[in-house]
Parts: sequence; C-alpha cells; structure tokens
Amino acid sequence: MARQGGRATDPRKVSQELFTLTYGALVAQLIKDYEQDDEVNKQLDKIGFLFFACRGYNIGVRLIEDFLARSGIGRCNDFRETADVIAKNGFRMFLGITPQVTNWSAAGDEFSLIMDANPLADFVELPDDHNQLNYSNILCGVIRGALESVQMAVDVRFVQDILKGDNQTEIRVKFIKRLEDALPAGEE
Amino acid sequence: MTNNIISKLEQMGCRVGQSLAERFTRDSPRFGSELDIIKFICKEFWVGTFKKQVDNLRTNHLGVYVILDSRFKLLTHMSAGEQYLESAPKYLAFTCGLVRGALASFGINSVVTAEVSTMPSCKFQISIPKT
Amino acid sequence: MTIYNMYIFDRNGTCLFYQEWQRNKNSGMPQEEEFKLMYGLIFSIKSFISRMSPVDFYSNSKDGFTSFNTNYYKLHFFETPSGLKFVLNTSLNVDSLRDSLQYIYNSIYVEYVVKNPLCSLNSAIKSEIFKEKIDTYIRGLPAF
Repeated sequence: MARQGGRATDPRKVSQELFTLTYGALVAQLIKDYEQDDEVNKQLDKIGFLFFACRGYNIGVRLIEDFLARSGIGRCNDFRETADVIAKNGFRMFLGITPQVTNWSAAGDEFSLIMDANPLADFVELPDDHNQLNYSNILCGVIRGALESVQMAVDVRFVQDILKGDNQTEIRVKFIKRLEDALPAGEE
Repeated sequence: MTNNIISKLEQMGCRVGQSLAERFTRDSPRFGSELDIIKFICKEFWVGTFKKQVDNLRTNHLGVYVILDSRFKLLTHMSAGEQYLESAPKYLAFTCGLVRGALASFGINSVVTAEVSTMPSCKFQISIPKT
Repeated sequence: MTIYNMYIFDRNGTCLFYQEWQRNKNSGMPQEEEFKLMYGLIFSIKSFISRMSPVDFYSNSKDGFTSFNTNYYKLHFFETPSGLKFVLNTSLNVDSLRDSLQYIYNSIYVEYVVKNPLCSLNSAIKSEIFKEKIDTYIRGLPAF
C-alpha cells in the first residue's frame, strides 16, 4: 500500500535530533562506565580535547580545521576578537546558536559565553542523583582544543547550567598564554 | 576488547535509532507491512541520517533484507579501497544499532550486521526471525 | 610550466606529507634531514620577514610570506591559522598557486585527513585516498 504524506520529515531537523540523541547516548554510556559525575565530566572534557591522545584524535582540533576551511577566517588580532569569532561563527556553524559574549574581566583575559538554548541538552533532564554532572562538558574540551590549535592556551569551565536549575547556561573562558610555533630542531 | 567496544557502540546506536524513529513517525499513520517499514528505513530514515537514499534493497521474502549503500557516508572520508578495512566494523556498529533500534520501535525484533569488502561501499543485512 | 614537489608541515615541524612529481636534483641528504632543513628555511624566512617588516603586518594583512623566486625555481607558501604549512616548488613561469594550496587544505586535507578518524593529525599521513586526491589534483592543474 503506497503511503503519501504524513511522513514529511525535515532532514535538517532529523540531523539535529540525531546529533543530540547521539550525544545523549554517549553521556549515558559514560555514566554507565564511570559512574561518578566528576569522572564523567573529566571524560567529556577529554573527548572534546584529547581523545585517543596517542593518535592525535581530538575533536576540538579537528573541528577547528573544518571551521577555518569553511569560514575562511584568519588569525584574530586580540582575545576580544577571538571571543566574538567563537560565539558568532563557531557556535553558529556547529550548534546553530549564538551565545552572548559578556562578563569580561577587567584585564580583558576572561569572558563568559551565555547560552539561552543548548541543542546538546534538548530533551534532557538530569536525574537527582547526577546533580554534579556537567552534561555538556564536551564543549569545554572542544573550545580548549580548538584554541590550542590557533596557539592559545585557555582554561574553560561550566559555571552555570540550566539543567542544574540555574537561570542560564554559562561557560567561562580564561586566557592563559600564547603558544609559539616549534623551533626547528637544532636552533635556539 | 574490540568486541566490547563494538557491542557498546551497537547499543548506543540502538537507543538513538529507537528515539529517532519514534520522533520521525510521531504524526504519521501506521505502516501496512514489514516491507513498508524496511522501505521507510531505506528512504526517509536513510536520507534523514545520511543525506542520501540507499542504492539497492534485496530480500529473500523470508525475513532477510540486504541494503546496499555504495557510498556509505561514514566511510567516504576514510578509504576508496581496502585500506583500513580492518577498522570498518567499529565505524559501522553504531549504524547497525541505529537500524535495529528503529525497527524495534515498530515492534520488529531483528539482527543487523554490516559487511564491507571495498570501501566506501557497505552492505547491511537485516534478519527478522520468523516466529 | 612544471610542478616539482610538495611538503606539508604541522606546526611542530613534523613533515606530514611529501611528494615529488618532477625532481631532477636531490638534496643529497637523508629525507628526514631535508624535511628539517625545509622547515627551518620556512621558519627562518617567516621570522626574518616579521622582524624586518617596516609595518605591523599581523594587523595589516594576515599573510607574511607567500612565495620566493630564485633564478631556477619558485617556492609557493601557504599557512593556515592553525599553523599547517603547505610548500610547493614549481618552475618560474607559474603564477601564484595560493588558491590551489588553499583548495588542497579546504577540500582535500580537511575532507580526507581531518574527517578520517583513523588519520593522525601529527604524524606522516598514511591515507591512500588522500595521496590519490592530491596527485590527481596537482596533475590536473594548468601549471603541471
């Protein structure tokens, strides 16, 4: 029996749901494997930053290459520009959202990304016994890995999360230092 | 160890496939037959997840279906031949689970396996035991 | 017009890829040594150029050094913000190949190395499909 209509599905919506659900399955698997929330947080951060370290597999490092190739964006002049590019280009490209860049420290070396919506956490509710879980902690590793590739060492952490009952989701990014190109062997 | 990884990935895929299929078909009428469901997997489900339809579907009419995707999305960046063939099962387990989960959400129990001889072409075999 | 050879380095100076299409003279040293020397050459040129620049080029333009000519060959250089360095040697009558190097990065390196989870990003590239795509692309260039 041929069946028309009724099953019209928007492919974009499907891939977003596939992505969100797959991320959910990953977190659920890690909870099964590691049990403790802080250990799961650590693993998520690691997956974003440095997965299979021996092979150099690193989601952040890979995403930044894809990002640079597709956006054609060059080097940033300062950390403020970097913050804007992360929010307006990076998050936009990979998650379809534009977090607000705010709460700059006086020294200009630290800022917050505020997200009203978080596609990774659609359909998610944290169970009571996982109130220490930073569900979307992979984002920290990804930002850290991506910035390390463009020679910036940063510290990234979740400070607020709607999933934990906060009013908004906030990621704090702190500049640590610039990394230099490796000197050729034998040169000082 | 590898088997353990593969079965974990398969189970993750299964969870995702189940939820995904439910969300996909929330507002649509029920399927008429088993073949209709398999066709749905080959068309809407495949297009939604992999941005293309499958290239061929065959069945022995005894509950075995073979889906051929001659440019399987997860393998096209990897190889055009036999290089890395031994790693392929790890990258197919999630998809096998995805299909098994989707079928389960329509009440069909199945076993789904994948077979590759030359990348990026891949065959998925769905076996539905007859009771 | 002729394309001689190509090197790709990561930002640690590791040679990720080397291929030659036409090369009549060898450097007469082990390949590892030659890679180090080429990376050293690029590194030094970049650092001299930025030190001697009469203008602050990091804010004026994103690129420092793009190519040099000798009497016999031309070296084309392209670097991504992530520090990947593409080096291509050609004969003198070849125009700028920066767009081609950009294409190799965008459409071959990113597609077949970055998106292949089995490819390491910090050691020599082993992917055959990558090598094939590079070879086909270079051979198809008008400059080849």
